[in-house]
Amino acid sequence: MAQAAAVAEPPAPPRRRRASATPRRLPYLLIAPAALLMLGFIAYPVVSVFYYSLQNYNPTKPWRNGYAGLDNFVHAFTDDPQFWDTLTFSAKWVVVEVGLQLLCGLALALIVNQTFVGRGLGRALVFSPWAVSGVLTSAIWVLLYNSQTGITRYLADLGIGEYGTSWLSDTSTVFPAAVVADLWRGVPFFAILILADLQSVSKDLYEAAEVDGASRLKQFWHITLPHLKDAIVLSTLLRAVWEFNNVDLLYTLTGGGPAGETTTLPLYIANTSVDAHNFGYASALTTVAFVILLFCSVVYLRLSKFGGENK
Amino acid sequence: MKSSIRRSRRAGLAVALGSVLALTATACGDDGSGAAGDKGNEGSGKGEITFWDNNGGVRTDIWKEIIADFEKKYPDIKVNYVGIPAASAQSKYDTAIQGGGLPDVGGVGTAVLAEVAVQGALEPLDSRLGKSPLNGKLSQNLLDVSKSAGGGDTLYQIPTSANNGTLWYRTDLFTAAGLDAPTTWSKFYEAADKLTDKGKNKFGFTIRGGEGSIAPALDAVYGQTGITSFWNGDKTTVNDPKNVAALDKYVALYKKDTPSADVNNDFTKMVAQWDSGTIGMLSHNLGSYQDHLKALGAGKFRGIPNPTADDGTRVQISNPVDGLSLFKSSKNKAAAWKFIEFAVSAAENSKYNKSAGQVPANTDAAKDAWVQNAEPTKLAAEALNGAGTKIVQMPYYLPDWNTISKADNEPNFQKVLLGKMTAKQFLDTLAEQLNAAQADWKKNH
Repeated sequence: MAQAAAVAEPPAPPRRRRASATPRRLPYLLIAPAALLMLGFIAYPVVSVFYYSLQNYNPTKPWRNGYAGLDNFVHAFTDDPQFWDTLTFSAKWVVVEVGLQLLCGLALALIVNQTFVGRGLGRALVFSPWAVSGVLTSAIWVLLYNSQTGITRYLADLGIGEYGTSWLSDTSTVFPAAVVADLWRGVPFFAILILADLQSVSKDLYEAAEVDGASRLKQFWHITLPHLKDAIVLSTLLRAVWEFNNVDLLYTLTGGGPAGETTTLPLYIANTSVDAHNFGYASALTTVAFVILLFCSVVYLRLSKFGGENK
Repeated sequence: MKSSIRRSRRAGLAVALGSVLALTATACGDDGSGAAGDKGNEGSGKGEITFWDNNGGVRTDIWKEIIADFEKKYPDIKVNYVGIPAASAQSKYDTAIQGGGLPDVGGVGTAVLAEVAVQGALEPLDSRLGKSPLNGKLSQNLLDVSKSAGGGDTLYQIPTSANNGTLWYRTDLFTAAGLDAPTTWSKFYEAADKLTDKGKNKFGFTIRGGEGSIAPALDAVYGQTGITSFWNGDKTTVNDPKNVAALDKYVALYKKDTPSADVNNDFTKMVAQWDSGTIGMLSHNLGSYQDHLKALGAGKFRGIPNPTADDGTRVQISNPVDGLSLFKSSKNKAAAWKFIEFAVSAAENSKYNKSAGQVPANTDAAKDAWVQNAEPTKLAAEALNGAGTKIVQMPYYLPDWNTISKADNEPNFQKVLLGKMTAKQFLDTLAEQLNAAQADWKKNH
């Protein structure tokens, strides 16, 4: 019996040492400050915007403040042509900018990936606009487009066009002029990311393709491009979000004008909140922009099968 | 095991709470001054105060000089100067009103006074002024404008300077073309035509089409029609048929006698363009005098009040009055008020306005010799105080004024210049918004 009892009773597990409990908690302790900071700096503002989107909130007209329900959203969708105009312009801006930046960035990356004399200088020149601050970029292009000191003045001296004109003041030229200015700033972003990815393509693949008699175009289409797919998907997504939210360059170059021709949705939101103090309505517009961006991002990632195996 | 998990959760909670408290403490901390709603207190009349200059950069040097004088006279008060660019002053005040960090004293122009006052951020100043040596020394006209712009019967701003719409013109170009000074609207339009030679990069006028375009356009409109009141009962006169015709005539100058780039002109671009090019006339205020002086030299230009009707009748819109306000949240109002009194005293107000080229609010300062010698300022003072001048009072008291005159209608004015909207449509839209804002304001005051 005593023997059976001795068999039935398993040996007591060794007492867990106190030191072993600490490492289990340690990861949580270590990420707690970061998590709390993110809650403070991301979650709080986002929740706050959702809250104000359901309010009438204008500090200069306190007698009107109060719960608005979905009125702000209904107004945006049914009674505010500026919302639709600026949203349409934002979509046009994003598609044109991101498309052109990708094409130019890809072309430049392919060029500076080749071996040639002065490649280092070439790469530095391609990447240098990325190192220039947004304010300085805007200032450079404001001067270039100035009617007294800029390109049009020198063209007029040569007898091309009229004096006193600026491409930013003409509704037919303001869009391409702004696109070129932002292109100059955005192309290096794609060039850097694509060049980094290009350098990881195995040379064996190209050698094998050459042995098989594949042309340079076929090599690009069947080796380079599939390899770059994830980099292109990620960079275009990031850039699209940035371009959608772009305020600084357009605000400085055109102020959204002339006649609202270059007002993006974020610029309209900025005017509605900062100039008009209509924070409730601006929050509703921000919420709509957030949902649009989220939806487009998810659809884009699904359609592009981001992160999947290339077949 | 359970107790271990519980201990672990408690520890996690403690860390979380500690971090939250730390964050909260950080978020609540500020420099001692507060947000709107804080009542502040008189303080000891000594120590530090913070002053926000609403035209930082442009007026920084002169304010630093005034502050040095003040600290010499009151060595137990230190003034922290914060220069804020004029374009962002309003948003800085709004942010501080909501989030804290308001100064003790700040420059607040009448264009934004109503919306700062309505948020409860400003200290009423009637009683302080009544007991001050400044009482009776400030221009009554300007005090009336300050009081009206604050939204009613309370004084929230001690005026420092009056500005005035000024027509700057190139005397060298006028002489060469054999033209009279553009003292009347007829002479103005004639000169704009005659001085324009687009093929040689010469233009008669530069129009303000970008930020800040509404006030100069309205000044030109009321100046031409001679309508002397902004309101006819509860309806604005802005879309009166005479005003529509006057605006049509004014915007017709665009591209005909002005550079086409003017559609995006804010004041900086417009002034820089006039100072560097061969443009006959520029409509701005007294504030750009020093820029013209530096760029062109004294002999090449003059600044005169806006043109009159052919019979000499002068009608102009009220220009924003600049001034200093005391913030309700100040913890040292006694010292802050001493600073305001000092800055608007005759000697300092004279010094400030001489630098700014504006008309002093202090009546003793306005008699100083420099005012008589600076022709644009002297003529502006005469126009402002002249018996024959009729001033159309703009509704600066409307909290919506800035929204209506900026965000809502500056793009529309550009549409008028570009021919995408008629002058009538523009003025009717403006009138509709102003009438609604006036009705809303009346209902709630």
